[in-house]
Amino acid sequence: MIALFRAEFLKLSSTRTAFGLFIAAIVVSVLPAVLVMSLVPRDALSDGGATIAASGLTIVPILAVVFGILGMTNEYRHGTITYTYLTTPRRGIVMIVKLLCYGIVGTAVMAATALLVVLAIALIAALRDIALPWFTASSVSDLKTLRDAGMFLLASGMMTAFGVSLGALFRAQVPTVAGVVVWALAAEGIITVIKPRVGIYLPFAAFQQLTMGGSLRVGEGGGLPSLTRPEAFLVAIAYITVFSVAAVFTSMRRDVT
Amino acid sequence: MAVIEAEHLSKRFGKKVLAVDDVSFAIQPGTITGFLGPNGAGKTTTLRMLVDLVHPTAGSVRVLGSRYRDLARPTTRVGALLDASGFHPGRSGRNALRVVAASAGLAYDRVEAALEMVELGGAAKRAVKGYSTGMKQRLALAAALLGDPEVLLLDEPANGLDPEGIRWLRTFLRACAAEGRTVLVSSHVLAEVEQTVDDVLIISRGKLLAHGPISELTRTAQPVVRVRSPQAEKLEALLTAKGAAVNRLGSALAIRGPGSAEVGELAHAGGVVLHELLTEQPGLEDLFLQIAGTRRES
Repeated sequence: MIALFRAEFLKLSSTRTAFGLFIAAIVVSVLPAVLVMSLVPRDALSDGGATIAASGLTIVPILAVVFGILGMTNEYRHGTITYTYLTTPRRGIVMIVKLLCYGIVGTAVMAATALLVVLAIALIAALRDIALPWFTASSVSDLKTLRDAGMFLLASGMMTAFGVSLGALFRAQVPTVAGVVVWALAAEGIITVIKPRVGIYLPFAAFQQLTMGGSLRVGEGGGLPSLTRPEAFLVAIAYITVFSVAAVFTSMRRDVT
Repeated sequence: MAVIEAEHLSKRFGKKVLAVDDVSFAIQPGTITGFLGPNGAGKTTTLRMLVDLVHPTAGSVRVLGSRYRDLARPTTRVGALLDASGFHPGRSGRNALRVVAASAGLAYDRVEAALEMVELGGAAKRAVKGYSTGMKQRLALAAALLGDPEVLLLDEPANGLDPEGIRWLRTFLRACAAEGRTVLVSSHVLAEVEQTVDDVLIISRGKLLAHGPISELTRTAQPVVRVRSPQAEKLEALLTAKGAAVNRLGSALAIRGPGSAEVGELAHAGGVVLHELLTEQPGLEDLFLQIAGTRRES
């Protein structure tokens, strides 16, 4: 098992996929943060502007799913799955190692990206002499802030693992990536508008609720329904489990030709 | 005990394609066996079934007495070259092998040894996408050798190799046999393996047509009569009318069925001038054509 982890990390470090994910994450999160913090008037930023500046981070978990998909579909695309299964004929073990390994790397990349976003916002705020409520001593050490950060990382790792299971199940890289992006950015939103009570149980909504913890709950009693964090966690885990089991089951039956 | 065994092995893809049809064979230790047949005969599918990459529709396979997936550290027992393009193009040759070595729990020393063995040490740092077909083939061979296995399964290993590479491969296969390894090597270019293999498995359209030592199979095969004539076309018609199997290329004929005396007499009776008439013991290629032809007729 340790040998397989070593091999997976070597696979990741010897290609540009993880680095590409990191660059893409920076482009969609750090760059907008820098632009917003540099160009928006100071007064506007003092009042919740930093939250808008960091909003690019909400797209980053979708990249995590794509990263997971690439991790698995690249094996089929480049034919390396032949060597993977020759060295480890027990295909279920391959799947478990990939889920864990990509989960760890996805979490690490997202952590680095989030850190860069926070640093960029703090640096520009300091340079422009903007007081952000985020960076007060009490706010940083606040349990809620730490919990939010932890949940963001947990959700990122879980989304990467979810991507791995999707990739293993569908194998075809381009259609899977395209399908997931369309689903995440359009289909789920449409379903949620039409059927909000169904929408909250959809995969990306579950991951988002895990990250944001009740922020979808707009107005207690009369607003949109939402899941608590433990509920969202259970739904997200259920998606990963169901897709992973389906992926293992199908990969065990599939021929590698 | 046979090192590689297949019993009533069949593989069907979908409803229409029967890639392998009730194939049974046993390969003895320390031999080089040529797995021969035209493209699409079922060679690759059979080899992939041996290592659990393709699941048989019926029948069973055993390598070293058990299923491939039940072998402990299988790459140290069985080395397989199945797909020379099975490397990530962005990885260096060395890293491509290191990934395989790491998965198999092998030390990186083995990577360097395998690279030297296939004479790719100088190109180890280059990305695989910059490799020629022959270099990729050598890299795949290095991957098969990483675990220093006692059994080698090689699917068309000479693909993309230049004449020097093919000669190197022959020497390499001989060295493997001398070390006591068992090698099953597939090829659709029969002349390529004729000088190397001890035994042959001949497969066509998914059916195993022959299995045995190459010397025995060629000895029992019908001799071929070769004729050169300025009236080759006329002679071909005469021979065909007598039920002989004839291949004609320009003025040369290769005839199976009648002996040289019969051919000479028939030519004389038909007024056909002969420039050459000789009998040849068939080579592997002739043997294959004979066996495949007989099967088709039956």
